[in-house]
Amino acid sequence: MQTELEKNFLLDFEANQNIAHKVCRIYTTNQDAHNDLFQEIAIQLWKNYSKFRGDAKFSTWMYRVALNTAISLYRKSTRTVKTQDISDVTFKIQSSEYDNTEELQLAALYNAIRSMNDIDKALIFLYLEDKPYKEIAETLGITEVNARVKMNRAKDKLKKILKP
Amino acid sequence: MDLSQYKKAWENQPDEKNKISALDIYKMTQAKSTSIVKWILIIGLLEFAFWIIINHFTSGIEYNKVYEELNLTYFFKYSYYLSYIIVVIFLFLFYKNYTSISTTDSTKTLMRKIIKVRRTVKFYVYFNISISIAAIILLNILIVNTPNGIETLLGIDQSNTDSSNMITIYVASQIIGAIMMILILLLFYYLLYGLLLKKLNKNYKELTKLEELN
Repeated sequence: MQTELEKNFLLDFEANQNIAHKVCRIYTTNQDAHNDLFQEIAIQLWKNYSKFRGDAKFSTWMYRVALNTAISLYRKSTRTVKTQDISDVTFKIQSSEYDNTEELQLAALYNAIRSMNDIDKALIFLYLEDKPYKEIAETLGITEVNARVKMNRAKDKLKKILKP
Repeated sequence: MDLSQYKKAWENQPDEKNKISALDIYKMTQAKSTSIVKWILIIGLLEFAFWIIINHFTSGIEYNKVYEELNLTYFFKYSYYLSYIIVVIFLFLFYKNYTSISTTDSTKTLMRKIIKVRRTVKFYVYFNISISIAAIILLNILIVNTPNGIETLLGIDQSNTDSSNMITIYVASQIIGAIMMILILLLFYYLLYGLLLKKLNKNYKELTKLEELN
Protein backbone atom coordinates (compact mmCIF):
# COMPACT_ATOMS: atom_id res chain seq x y z
CA MET A 1 0.00 0.00 0.00
CA GLN A 2 1.52 3.26 -1.12
CA THR A 3 0.81 6.61 0.39
CA GLU A 4 -0.10 9.71 -1.61
CA LEU A 5 3.42 11.03 -1.06
CA GLU A 6 4.95 7.84 -2.41
CA LYS A 7 2.70 7.90 -5.46
CA ASN A 8 3.61 11.49 -6.28
CA PHE A 9 7.26 10.73 -5.79
CA LEU A 10 7.20 7.73 -8.09
CA LEU A 11 5.39 9.70 -10.80
CA ASP A 12 7.88 12.57 -10.54
CA PHE A 13 10.90 10.31 -10.50
CA GLU A 14 9.76 8.03 -13.26
CA ALA A 15 9.14 10.99 -15.56
CA ASN A 16 12.54 12.51 -14.80
CA GLN A 17 14.66 9.39 -14.46
CA ASN A 18 16.73 10.31 -17.49
CA ILE A 19 18.47 12.98 -15.41
CA ALA A 20 19.64 10.32 -12.96
CA HIS A 21 20.75 8.02 -15.77
CA LYS A 22 22.84 10.75 -17.35
CA VAL A 23 24.49 11.53 -14.02
CA CYS A 24 25.22 7.82 -13.55
CA ARG A 25 26.69 7.62 -17.03
CA ILE A 26 29.17 10.42 -16.44
CA TYR A 27 30.12 9.37 -12.90
CA THR A 28 30.45 5.63 -13.42
CA THR A 29 32.04 3.45 -16.07
CA ASN A 30 30.23 0.13 -15.86
CA GLN A 31 26.66 -1.07 -15.58
CA ASP A 32 26.96 -2.38 -12.01
CA ALA A 33 28.26 0.93 -10.71
CA HIS A 34 25.63 2.73 -12.77
CA ASN A 35 22.85 0.73 -11.12
CA ASP A 36 24.35 1.21 -7.65
CA LEU A 37 24.58 4.96 -8.05
CA PHE A 38 21.10 5.10 -9.56
CA GLN A 39 19.74 3.30 -6.53
CA GLU A 40 21.57 5.59 -4.12
CA ILE A 41 20.14 8.61 -5.96
CA ALA A 42 16.64 7.11 -5.66
CA ILE A 43 17.17 6.59 -1.92
CA GLN A 44 18.44 10.13 -1.40
CA LEU A 45 15.57 11.63 -3.40
CA TRP A 46 12.96 9.67 -1.51
CA LYS A 47 14.57 10.37 1.86
CA ASN A 48 14.29 14.10 1.23
CA TYR A 49 11.09 14.17 -0.79
CA SER A 50 8.89 15.11 2.15
CA LYS A 51 11.03 18.25 2.55
CA PHE A 52 10.67 19.08 -1.13
CA ARG A 53 8.12 21.86 -1.16
CA GLY A 54 7.45 22.09 -4.83
CA ASP A 55 8.43 25.76 -4.96
CA ALA A 56 11.13 24.65 -7.35
CA LYS A 57 10.63 22.28 -10.24
CA PHE A 58 11.15 18.62 -9.33
CA SER A 59 13.72 18.29 -12.09
CA THR A 60 15.75 21.24 -10.74
CA TRP A 61 15.77 19.67 -7.31
CA MET A 62 16.68 16.32 -8.81
CA TYR A 63 19.76 17.73 -10.55
CA ARG A 64 21.08 18.90 -7.22
CA VAL A 65 20.40 15.71 -5.25
CA ALA A 66 21.69 13.45 -8.05
CA LEU A 67 24.93 15.42 -8.46
CA ASN A 68 25.52 15.68 -4.72
CA THR A 69 25.04 11.95 -4.33
CA ALA A 70 27.49 11.24 -7.13
CA ILE A 71 30.06 13.73 -5.83
CA SER A 72 29.96 13.19 -2.10
CA LEU A 73 28.02 10.27 -0.80
CA TYR A 74 28.56 7.52 -3.25
CA ARG A 75 30.71 4.89 -1.58
CA LYS A 76 32.02 2.56 -4.23
CA SER A 77 35.02 3.95 -6.00
CA THR A 78 34.88 2.11 -9.28
CA ARG A 79 35.36 5.34 -11.07
CA THR A 80 38.71 5.02 -12.73
CA VAL A 81 38.60 6.24 -16.27
CA LYS A 82 38.35 3.44 -18.75
CA THR A 83 37.39 3.45 -22.38
CA GLN A 84 36.17 -0.12 -22.45
CA ASP A 85 32.54 0.63 -21.67
CA ILE A 86 32.25 3.37 -24.19
CA SER A 87 30.11 1.15 -26.40
CA ASP A 88 27.17 1.68 -24.06
CA VAL A 89 26.81 5.22 -25.33
CA THR A 90 26.94 4.13 -28.94
CA PHE A 91 23.29 3.68 -29.49
CA LYS A 92 22.76 3.14 -33.16
CA ILE A 93 24.17 0.55 -35.45
CA GLN A 94 26.70 1.89 -37.85
CA SER A 95 25.69 1.73 -41.49
CA SER A 96 27.06 3.20 -44.68
CA GLU A 97 24.08 5.41 -45.34
CA TYR A 98 23.64 6.56 -41.79
CA ASP A 99 25.59 9.62 -40.71
CA ASN A 100 27.11 8.64 -37.40
CA THR A 101 29.05 11.83 -36.73
CA GLU A 102 26.77 12.84 -33.88
CA GLU A 103 26.90 9.41 -32.35
CA LEU A 104 30.70 9.41 -32.38
CA GLN A 105 30.74 12.90 -30.95
CA LEU A 106 28.50 11.77 -28.12
CA ALA A 107 30.74 8.80 -27.37
CA ALA A 108 33.82 11.03 -27.40
CA LEU A 109 32.04 13.56 -25.19
CA TYR A 110 31.13 10.96 -22.56
CA ASN A 111 34.63 9.63 -22.59
CA ALA A 112 36.10 13.10 -22.15
CA ILE A 113 33.74 14.02 -19.30
CA ARG A 114 34.51 10.79 -17.50
CA SER A 115 38.18 11.72 -17.38
CA MET A 116 37.47 15.00 -15.58
CA ASN A 117 37.28 15.56 -11.82
CA ASP A 118 33.97 15.39 -9.94
CA ILE A 119 33.35 19.14 -9.86
CA ASP A 120 34.22 19.75 -13.50
CA LYS A 121 31.94 16.87 -14.42
CA ALA A 122 29.09 18.60 -12.62
CA LEU A 123 29.80 21.95 -14.29
CA ILE A 124 29.98 20.48 -17.79
CA PHE A 125 26.88 18.37 -17.18
CA LEU A 126 24.87 21.42 -16.13
CA TYR A 127 26.16 23.33 -19.17
CA LEU A 128 25.15 20.53 -21.52
CA GLU A 129 21.74 20.39 -19.86
CA ASP A 130 21.36 24.10 -20.65
CA LYS A 131 21.01 25.23 -17.06
CA PRO A 132 21.18 28.99 -16.41
CA TYR A 133 24.18 30.24 -14.43
CA LYS A 134 21.92 31.27 -11.57
CA GLU A 135 20.80 27.67 -11.13
CA ILE A 136 24.32 26.28 -11.56
CA ALA A 137 25.57 28.67 -8.88
CA GLU A 138 22.79 27.66 -6.49
CA THR A 139 23.31 23.96 -7.09
CA LEU A 140 27.01 24.11 -6.39
CA GLY A 141 26.81 26.77 -3.67
CA ILE A 142 29.12 29.27 -5.35
CA THR A 143 28.52 32.79 -6.65
CA GLU A 144 27.30 33.33 -10.18
CA VAL A 145 30.49 35.14 -11.12
CA ASN A 146 32.53 32.29 -9.74
CA ALA A 147 30.37 29.78 -11.60
CA ARG A 148 31.06 31.58 -14.89
CA VAL A 149 34.80 31.57 -14.32
CA LYS A 150 34.84 27.94 -13.26
CA MET A 151 32.66 27.01 -16.21
CA ASN A 152 34.99 28.64 -18.70
CA ARG A 153 37.92 26.77 -17.21
CA ALA A 154 36.05 23.48 -17.27
CA LYS A 155 35.04 24.07 -20.90
CA ASP A 156 38.65 24.81 -21.82
CA LYS A 157 39.72 21.57 -20.17
CA LEU A 158 37.02 19.68 -22.03
CA LYS A 159 38.06 21.18 -25.37
CA LYS A 160 41.64 20.15 -24.73
CA ILE A 161 40.61 16.58 -23.99
CA LEU A 162 38.39 16.42 -27.07
CA LYS A 163 40.97 17.97 -29.41
CA PRO A 164 44.43 17.67 -27.91
CA MET B 1 37.14 24.71 -31.36
CA ASP B 2 33.44 24.97 -30.63
CA LEU B 3 31.61 22.83 -28.10
CA SER B 4 28.19 23.56 -29.59
CA GLN B 5 28.30 20.60 -31.98
CA TYR B 6 28.97 18.34 -28.99
CA LYS B 7 26.20 20.02 -27.08
CA LYS B 8 23.85 19.29 -29.95
CA ALA B 9 24.92 15.65 -29.90
CA TRP B 10 24.25 15.62 -26.15
CA GLU B 11 20.78 17.09 -26.59
CA ASN B 12 19.93 14.58 -29.29
CA GLN B 13 21.02 11.56 -27.31
CA PRO B 14 18.29 8.98 -26.96
CA ASP B 15 16.68 8.25 -23.60
CA GLU B 16 18.02 5.45 -21.45
CA LYS B 17 17.11 2.08 -22.92
CA ASN B 18 16.66 0.37 -19.58
CA LYS B 19 13.85 2.47 -18.18
CA ILE B 20 13.27 1.73 -14.53
CA SER B 21 9.62 1.10 -13.75
CA ALA B 22 7.82 2.86 -10.92
CA LEU B 23 7.65 -0.45 -9.09
CA ASP B 24 11.42 -0.93 -9.33
CA ILE B 25 12.01 2.64 -8.22
CA TYR B 26 9.76 1.95 -5.25
CA LYS B 27 11.76 -1.17 -4.41
CA MET B 28 14.98 0.81 -4.66
CA THR B 29 13.80 3.45 -2.23
CA GLN B 30 13.11 0.74 0.33
CA ALA B 31 16.76 -0.32 0.26
CA LYS B 32 19.34 1.02 2.68
CA SER B 33 21.63 3.85 1.79
CA THR B 34 25.31 3.03 1.44
CA SER B 35 26.66 6.53 1.93
CA ILE B 36 30.13 7.03 3.39
CA VAL B 37 28.96 8.94 6.45
CA LYS B 38 26.58 6.16 7.36
CA TRP B 39 29.42 3.66 7.17
CA ILE B 40 31.58 5.76 9.45
CA LEU B 41 28.78 5.70 12.01
CA ILE B 42 28.28 1.93 11.67
CA ILE B 43 31.98 1.16 11.94
CA GLY B 44 32.27 3.46 14.96
CA LEU B 45 29.48 1.55 16.69
CA LEU B 46 30.98 -1.84 15.81
CA GLU B 47 34.36 -0.74 17.08
CA PHE B 48 32.83 0.41 20.35
CA ALA B 49 31.10 -2.96 20.75
CA PHE B 50 34.37 -4.73 19.93
CA TRP B 51 36.28 -2.97 22.73
CA ILE B 52 33.51 -3.59 25.25
CA ILE B 53 33.56 -7.30 24.44
CA ILE B 54 37.37 -7.43 24.63
CA ASN B 55 37.34 -5.69 28.01
CA HIS B 56 34.55 -7.89 29.27
CA PHE B 57 36.40 -11.09 28.46
CA THR B 58 39.81 -9.99 29.61
CA SER B 59 38.63 -8.62 32.95
CA GLY B 60 38.23 -12.11 34.43
CA ILE B 61 41.65 -13.33 33.41
CA GLU B 62 44.13 -14.57 36.00
CA TYR B 63 46.69 -11.97 35.04
CA ASN B 64 44.55 -9.22 36.50
CA LYS B 65 45.35 -10.59 39.95
CA VAL B 66 48.82 -9.19 39.52
CA TYR B 67 47.27 -5.79 39.00
CA GLU B 68 45.28 -6.32 42.15
CA GLU B 69 48.47 -6.95 44.07
CA LEU B 70 49.86 -3.76 42.63
CA ASN B 71 46.71 -1.86 43.60
CA LEU B 72 46.10 -0.97 39.95
CA THR B 73 42.58 -2.35 39.69
CA TYR B 74 41.07 1.09 40.18
CA PHE B 75 43.41 2.60 37.66
CA PHE B 76 42.12 0.20 35.01
CA LYS B 77 38.52 0.49 36.07
CA TYR B 78 38.44 4.27 35.92
CA SER B 79 40.43 4.53 32.75
CA TYR B 80 37.93 2.19 31.09
CA TYR B 81 35.03 4.29 32.32
CA LEU B 82 36.68 7.46 31.15
CA SER B 83 37.40 6.09 27.70
CA TYR B 84 33.83 4.78 27.40
CA ILE B 85 32.44 8.20 28.16
CA ILE B 86 34.68 9.81 25.59
CA VAL B 87 33.87 7.19 22.95
CA VAL B 88 30.15 7.75 23.56
CA ILE B 89 30.72 11.47 23.00
CA PHE B 90 32.44 10.71 19.71
CA LEU B 91 29.69 8.34 18.64
CA PHE B 92 27.21 11.11 19.35
CA LEU B 93 29.24 13.45 17.15
CA PHE B 94 29.36 10.83 14.38
CA TYR B 95 25.61 10.49 14.64
CA LYS B 96 25.08 14.25 14.55
CA ASN B 97 27.29 14.50 11.47
CA TYR B 98 25.31 11.72 9.89
CA THR B 99 21.96 13.40 10.43
CA SER B 100 23.11 16.90 9.47
CA ILE B 101 24.34 15.81 6.06
CA SER B 102 21.71 16.22 3.39
CA THR B 103 21.93 15.93 -0.36
CA THR B 104 19.52 18.84 -0.67
CA ASP B 105 22.23 21.26 0.49
CA SER B 106 24.31 22.97 -2.13
CA THR B 107 27.36 20.95 -3.13
CA LYS B 108 29.68 23.30 -1.26
CA THR B 109 27.69 23.15 2.00
CA LEU B 110 27.46 19.40 1.70
CA MET B 111 31.20 19.09 1.23
CA ARG B 112 31.87 21.38 4.17
CA LYS B 113 29.84 19.07 6.35
CA ILE B 114 31.66 16.06 5.00
CA ILE B 115 34.97 17.67 5.83
CA LYS B 116 33.66 18.05 9.36
CA VAL B 117 33.02 14.31 9.40
CA ARG B 118 36.57 13.74 8.25
CA ARG B 119 37.89 15.99 11.00
CA THR B 120 35.84 14.22 13.66
CA VAL B 121 37.18 10.84 12.58
CA LYS B 122 40.71 12.16 12.56
CA PHE B 123 40.31 13.56 16.07
CA TYR B 124 38.84 10.26 17.19
CA VAL B 125 41.82 8.30 15.86
CA TYR B 126 44.37 10.73 17.32
CA PHE B 127 42.53 10.66 20.62
CA ASN B 128 42.52 6.87 20.81
CA ILE B 129 46.20 6.66 19.98
CA SER B 130 47.26 9.35 22.42
CA ILE B 131 45.17 7.88 25.21
CA SER B 132 46.87 4.53 24.63
CA ILE B 133 50.29 6.15 24.86
CA ALA B 134 49.28 8.06 28.00
CA ALA B 135 47.93 4.88 29.60
CA ILE B 136 51.15 2.99 28.91
CA ILE B 137 53.27 5.76 30.37
CA LEU B 138 51.06 6.21 33.43
CA LEU B 139 50.88 2.49 34.06
CA ASN B 140 54.66 2.19 33.97
CA ILE B 141 55.13 5.13 36.29
CA LEU B 142 52.77 3.45 38.76
CA ILE B 143 54.52 0.09 38.48
CA VAL B 144 58.02 1.52 38.83
CA ASN B 145 56.94 3.55 41.86
CA THR B 146 55.46 0.54 43.60
CA PRO B 147 58.03 -1.27 45.79
CA ASN B 148 59.05 -4.46 43.97
CA GLY B 149 56.47 -3.56 41.35
CA ILE B 150 58.36 -4.91 38.39
CA GLU B 151 59.24 -8.12 40.18
CA THR B 152 55.64 -8.70 41.12
CA LEU B 153 54.47 -7.98 37.62
CA LEU B 154 56.93 -10.39 36.07
CA GLY B 155 56.29 -12.98 38.77
CA ILE B 156 59.93 -13.24 39.69
CA ASP B 157 61.25 -14.29 43.06
CA GLN B 158 62.24 -11.08 44.82
CA SER B 159 65.23 -12.63 46.56
CA ASN B 160 66.74 -13.18 43.18
CA THR B 161 69.12 -10.29 42.64
CA ASP B 162 70.52 -8.75 39.46
CA SER B 163 67.45 -6.57 39.36
CA SER B 164 69.09 -3.69 37.46
CA ASN B 165 69.58 -5.93 34.45
CA MET B 166 66.01 -7.03 34.72
CA ILE B 167 64.72 -3.49 34.87
CA THR B 168 66.61 -2.69 31.66
CA ILE B 169 65.02 -5.65 29.93
CA TYR B 170 61.64 -4.65 31.31
CA VAL B 171 61.89 -1.05 30.11
CA ALA B 172 63.12 -2.12 26.67
CA SER B 173 60.33 -4.65 26.26
CA GLN B 174 57.76 -2.07 27.40
CA ILE B 175 58.97 0.41 24.79
CA ILE B 176 58.99 -2.18 22.01
CA GLY B 177 55.58 -3.42 23.10
CA ALA B 178 54.19 0.10 23.13
CA ILE B 179 55.53 0.90 19.65
CA MET B 180 54.11 -2.32 18.27
CA MET B 181 50.76 -1.69 19.85
CA ILE B 182 50.58 1.80 18.37
CA LEU B 183 51.56 0.51 14.93
CA ILE B 184 48.82 -2.11 15.13
CA LEU B 185 46.33 0.56 16.17
CA LEU B 186 47.39 2.79 13.28
CA LEU B 187 47.00 -0.07 10.82
CA PHE B 188 43.64 -0.92 12.34
CA TYR B 189 42.39 2.64 11.90
CA TYR B 190 43.84 2.97 8.44
CA LEU B 191 41.98 -0.13 7.33
CA LEU B 192 38.78 0.94 9.06
CA TYR B 193 38.56 4.62 8.27
CA GLY B 194 41.45 5.51 5.98
CA LEU B 195 40.06 3.62 3.05
CA LEU B 196 36.60 5.08 3.56
CA LEU B 197 37.97 8.58 3.83
CA LYS B 198 40.16 8.44 0.75
CA LYS B 199 37.37 9.65 -1.47
CA LEU B 200 36.36 12.38 0.96
CA ASN B 201 39.93 13.55 0.94
CA LYS B 202 39.92 13.80 -2.84
CA ASN B 203 36.71 15.80 -2.82
CA TYR B 204 38.12 18.05 -0.15
CA LYS B 205 40.91 19.03 -2.50
CA GLU B 206 38.38 19.73 -5.20
CA LEU B 207 36.40 21.88 -2.81
CA THR B 208 39.39 24.05 -2.05
CA LYS B 209 39.81 24.52 -5.79
CA LEU B 210 36.16 25.55 -5.98
CA GLU B 211 36.70 28.13 -3.27
CA GLU B 212 39.82 29.68 -4.77
CA LEU B 213 37.86 32.48 -6.37
CA ASN B 214 35.30 33.17 -3.69
